[in-house]
Amino acid sequence: MSAESNRREFMKRAGLLALTVPAAATVLDACASVATSAKASTIRVGWAIEPDTMNPLTTYSTEAVEVLQLIYDNLIHTGLDLKPEPGLATSWSYSTDGKSITYQLRKATWHDGKPFTSADAGFTFELIKSKQVSQYAQWVTDLTSAETPDPATLVLHFAKPQAFNPGLAVPIIPQHIWQSMSASQIQKFANSRPVGTGPYRFVNWIKGQSIEISRNETWWGTRPAAQKVTWILFQNEDVMAQSLRTGAVDICPEIPPTIWDGLAGAQNVKAVSMPSFSFHHIGINVSENPKSGGNPLLKDRVIRQALSYAVDRKQLVDVALAGHGIPGSTLLPAGFGEWHLDIPLSQQYNANQGKAKALLDAAGYTLRNGSSVRTSKDGKPLTFRLIAIQSTSVDVAAAQLFRDACAKVGIQLNLTTLDANSLGNTVYNSKAPDWDIFVWGWDTGVYDPDYLLGVPLCNQIGSNNDVYYCNRHYDQLYDEQATELDHATRRALVHQAQQFYYDDAAYIIMWYQDKLQGYRTDTWTGWTEVNGGIILNFTRDNYLKARPV
Amino acid sequence: MARFRYLARKVAWLAVTLYGVVTFNFLLFHVLPGNPVRLLARSGHLTPQTVADITKVYGLNHPLGEQYLIYLRGLLHGQLGLSYTYREPVGTLLGQYLGNTVLLLAGATVLTIVLGTGVGVVAANLRGSKYDSATVTTSVIGWALPTFWTGLILAFVLGVWLHAFPIFGEQTPNAIYTSSLQRFEDIAAHLFLPTLTLVVVNIAQFVLVARASVIEVLSEDFMTTAIAKGLTPRRILWRHAVRNAMLPIVTSSALLIGLVVAGAIEVETVYSWPGMGLLVYNAVLDRDYPVIEGAFLVFAIVVLLVNFASDLLYQALDPRVREA
Repeated sequence: MSAESNRREFMKRAGLLALTVPAAATVLDACASVATSAKASTIRVGWAIEPDTMNPLTTYSTEAVEVLQLIYDNLIHTGLDLKPEPGLATSWSYSTDGKSITYQLRKATWHDGKPFTSADAGFTFELIKSKQVSQYAQWVTDLTSAETPDPATLVLHFAKPQAFNPGLAVPIIPQHIWQSMSASQIQKFANSRPVGTGPYRFVNWIKGQSIEISRNETWWGTRPAAQKVTWILFQNEDVMAQSLRTGAVDICPEIPPTIWDGLAGAQNVKAVSMPSFSFHHIGINVSENPKSGGNPLLKDRVIRQALSYAVDRKQLVDVALAGHGIPGSTLLPAGFGEWHLDIPLSQQYNANQGKAKALLDAAGYTLRNGSSVRTSKDGKPLTFRLIAIQSTSVDVAAAQLFRDACAKVGIQLNLTTLDANSLGNTVYNSKAPDWDIFVWGWDTGVYDPDYLLGVPLCNQIGSNNDVYYCNRHYDQLYDEQATELDHATRRALVHQAQQFYYDDAAYIIMWYQDKLQGYRTDTWTGWTEVNGGIILNFTRDNYLKARPV
Repeated sequence: MARFRYLARKVAWLAVTLYGVVTFNFLLFHVLPGNPVRLLARSGHLTPQTVADITKVYGLNHPLGEQYLIYLRGLLHGQLGLSYTYREPVGTLLGQYLGNTVLLLAGATVLTIVLGTGVGVVAANLRGSKYDSATVTTSVIGWALPTFWTGLILAFVLGVWLHAFPIFGEQTPNAIYTSSLQRFEDIAAHLFLPTLTLVVVNIAQFVLVARASVIEVLSEDFMTTAIAKGLTPRRILWRHAVRNAMLPIVTSSALLIGLVVAGAIEVETVYSWPGMGLLVYNAVLDRDYPVIEGAFLVFAIVVLLVNFASDLLYQALDPRVREA
């Protein structure tokens, strides 16, 4: 009997405890703000995608690069004006034939106290070239050797002149940590304690929650005002935006259009929109591979141009993107400024269904026997499969508009949606690409035309080239611009390459979407708006130049 | 001896089921279309050679049968493999996420079961009263509320408008705690809203099951006997009625706990709580086979153990099961 009553007493107490925990929690919101008294010295970034790894060589994620660019220095960085500015290299010069670049390096110290020398820089480039495990390998394809005549000088020799300076793209890693690793060891290396020369030191990464870095007091450059930078991971973008309103984060670099619209008028929050370096496109399978399952009719440029004429980019932007973008045309987004080729509206394959029908009629694709779908002379219908990524709602909306527009000119598209990985595997099945038309997008990690122009190259089949386009003339234009050191001549070549690829219409570039960001005005100031975004961009300078209010 | 043989048979079945689950998981995720290496390679200019090297590092170049044997061998050595996305051992990852899930769900589950049962028993005892009909109505409404929506509403009302509770994460990022008590308080504050959401949407089943089950027992003859014996109404209800009404509640609890380890993905999504649900969801999207297989192994083990425990509990509660 007494044992039983004791048990009841226990249950009662346990129940009370369970009730008091939440009650205590109310009291402690006050305590919680004590716990975050470090607010004014920390930049808190809210985002919804987690980096993949802290290994700068094997990462594939924009978010990881965002963190790592503050831990590792490049030889050269991109400034807020999107022009090169000194990093570990104080100056650099090209040889007269353009095949060698000499970098003068500054004195710097690794986060573990060891001195940085030209040997580290040379090692980095040679490692990437020899091990081929990094996405940076693309910038050193033509590298023949890295020479270090003295600890403050690095000379990179290339087989061809280099229009793009690879010093801008490659993070310099310490030889004493990486030198003994094989390619597969590098691939498996999580780098959970990154050691760089950069303005911030790595503190911790709590998976699924946050990443924190703290100021490197012995960095060579001007000391940034923020003692710490924290990136906080949200699984829900509504809650992310609400946290910007409540002041739990200072800046959000990627906000979905409808939520961004809702931030207008929020107190102490500024919502900003900037041109980006990204585009979304409709890709058409033009593979010459005999095993390709793509509809061979799509290899006829006339049909591709008709598809392009059928759809109205302005409508795509207005409807699918809620107006937050610029109607697309060529491979290089408008954010690239002078590199972008501005084709006059009257000369674009855009929003002209009459022209689409005329093109098809002239080429013998006509409506026969009262059908609403055109057929070729030998009776093949213009019916194609269209695939889009289920979770990318803007792409699905665009695909629906595109399908309806094409139906009006007599081309039938059957739309199906897939998850991102399945779509990627379908499209990139280079042995036997069995699909007709897809929708997705590209962006670039460097402020240079090279990366995006390089996507449709013949040698990128099996790699980036998602439509299996292969044209010798285009390849030649690309090579010429990549090795052309004279700025004006290179610009002309870049424009020619864009025009050529645009006319071939293997890509129907739908839009260049805006970068929608938001920041609090009562915590940090001095954010400079720049094409590509205040942060989550290839310039890191906004982190370094922000000042507390 | 018979009891020992019974236990041995149960444990043997446990092992066989586990082996079946391991094999099924392995096959399921490797037969699905989608190549993780291709997903990695999309974001860069990788040469075919590099792609081949990466494939080799993860052992994906072997035929499926061989991959299976390698996987089994690793399992026996306690290795769950290397995550494709994080490039870290799966065991380490699971440890972190499972810890968070248990932290959130242990409290919420106990609260749900205990509160739900208590409220249901009282309602049964007062059946037909205003309290009873209010309880039933509220429960049905709670049962009908979508988890995601409830979470967002609670977050906006209690978190954004009233500013009473934090709405994301497991603790304040960057917090510098002066004592471990302060850290405990911070975590408790972060636990409040997700726990409340879970209790609100899950409690109804326990209220309704407990109520129905107790009402049924109360109408049986031995209840009349108990009253005739002159026992106090309190003793009749809790000692005689509730004990006999416990079986369906134990069943529901075992089912709930089984679901619970898999994470409460909707609640985790709303409150950015880094638990198992999100880990698995993201791993599926990224084709991170080692993580999925590791997580499913954990789920399988927990579900099997909980069922095993509830079998034993049946025996303790009900002599008829014991004798059968």
